[in-house]
Amino acid sequence: MRTFKMVFVGAAAAAALLAGPSRAEAHHAFAAEFDARQPITLRGTVTRVEWINPHTWIHIDVKDPDGNVVEWMIEGGTPNTLLRAGVDRKSLPAGTEIVVDGYRAKSGLNRANGRDITLADGRKLSLGSSLKGSAGGDTPTDKK
Amino acid sequence: MRSPAKLVTLALVLAASTTAMAQWPKYTPAGVPLGPDGKLDVNAPAPRTADGKPDLSGVWEISRDPNAPPPAPRGNAGGAAGRGTAAPARGGGGAGGGSPFGNIGNSWPGGAPYQPWAADLVKKRMADDSKDNPDAHCLPMGIAQLNAHLYPRKIIQTPKEVVLIYEASGTTVREVYLDGRPLPKKDDVEPWWNGYSVGHWDGDTLVIETTGLMDDGWLDVRGSPLTSAGKITERFRRRTYGLLELEETIDDPKAYTQPFTAKVFYRFSPDTQLIEFVCMDKDAQHYIGGAPAK
Repeated sequence: MRTFKMVFVGAAAAAALLAGPSRAEAHHAFAAEFDARQPITLRGTVTRVEWINPHTWIHIDVKDPDGNVVEWMIEGGTPNTLLRAGVDRKSLPAGTEIVVDGYRAKSGLNRANGRDITLADGRKLSLGSSLKGSAGGDTPTDKK
Repeated sequence: MRSPAKLVTLALVLAASTTAMAQWPKYTPAGVPLGPDGKLDVNAPAPRTADGKPDLSGVWEISRDPNAPPPAPRGNAGGAAGRGTAAPARGGGGAGGGSPFGNIGNSWPGGAPYQPWAADLVKKRMADDSKDNPDAHCLPMGIAQLNAHLYPRKIIQTPKEVVLIYEASGTTVREVYLDGRPLPKKDDVEPWWNGYSVGHWDGDTLVIETTGLMDDGWLDVRGSPLTSAGKITERFRRRTYGLLELEETIDDPKAYTQPFTAKVFYRFSPDTQLIEFVCMDKDAQHYIGGAPAK
């Protein structure tokens, strides 16, 4: 679906791309679901957060260039990881405007792995996600 | 609701395990040795129980080998289960690279000594991006992955039984009997994900032997197989107050040409508590697998 506003960025994103998926997913390869070669930036409004293991899912409404609202699902880290990092189920209430930087799902569905979120005031929030397996130590590089 | 500024600040300190959180209170029990800085004195002697055994009780989190050189730069980790490319006859990337969570043979010279069929299977599983890892489908990850997982585990030690509670894999509980009962023969117990475990003390080392393991286990994320012919022997030793070492020997002649050993290190986390982990794989079909199309 090419109608959504996707921002494919250049060198900076390429660097982030290398940094992102090369760090580990907990139990399967990043590439089992997402495509590191399809970085995506989505601007949208949080509609709800599924606070479930093994991955949180942030639902956002994104406006495409024609003004149609389309729902995207953003995969984040596990609630346990995020909780230890100070993020809880109330951190992104419905209505919050966010920009998500992440990687598209290979399935072609409106899903992405969220690398980080930029809040309206420009500050960034790491989602844990595949960038981090748990509090308290480096993620073992189980898969690249 | 907390302010976004605070939230972001907290999120940015992901790497720090000592972040004080309101949501899950930290509590340091009495009796933990503290240094002049008020932090855990990791080099204090390992505590002992009333019967003189080393006391392994407490919450433990995965750690680097304290004696290993600093890790190689990212992207070149020798033991990493690189996507589909390694395809080793043996484990590949052995002797120190990466983590046993990704590759059980990471510290074994030459990597895990796979039987040919096992090497082929691992090659396929890696090419499939490990999408069939039981843990990726909310099924038990098995002892080896549990032992190397990033999530903390808690050991509760009594003279006649040790209980291991792992936050990972749906908050797994393992019972290890130290009451002198024999280790069942492989065919005498119903095979199951985590088998049947009996332990004993070898000096200051807790030795746990496990049989009764079922087929189709995954020892690591790359997919090193474990079969019902397998036996796992874990040797836990608390070197200091802050350091626990595990040598884990896999003896599975069906899948491996010889027994081999993985090493795991843990640091004591006096103020960490386990968090409930209920795995809800609501969408198991979202995994794609296979090499991505060019």
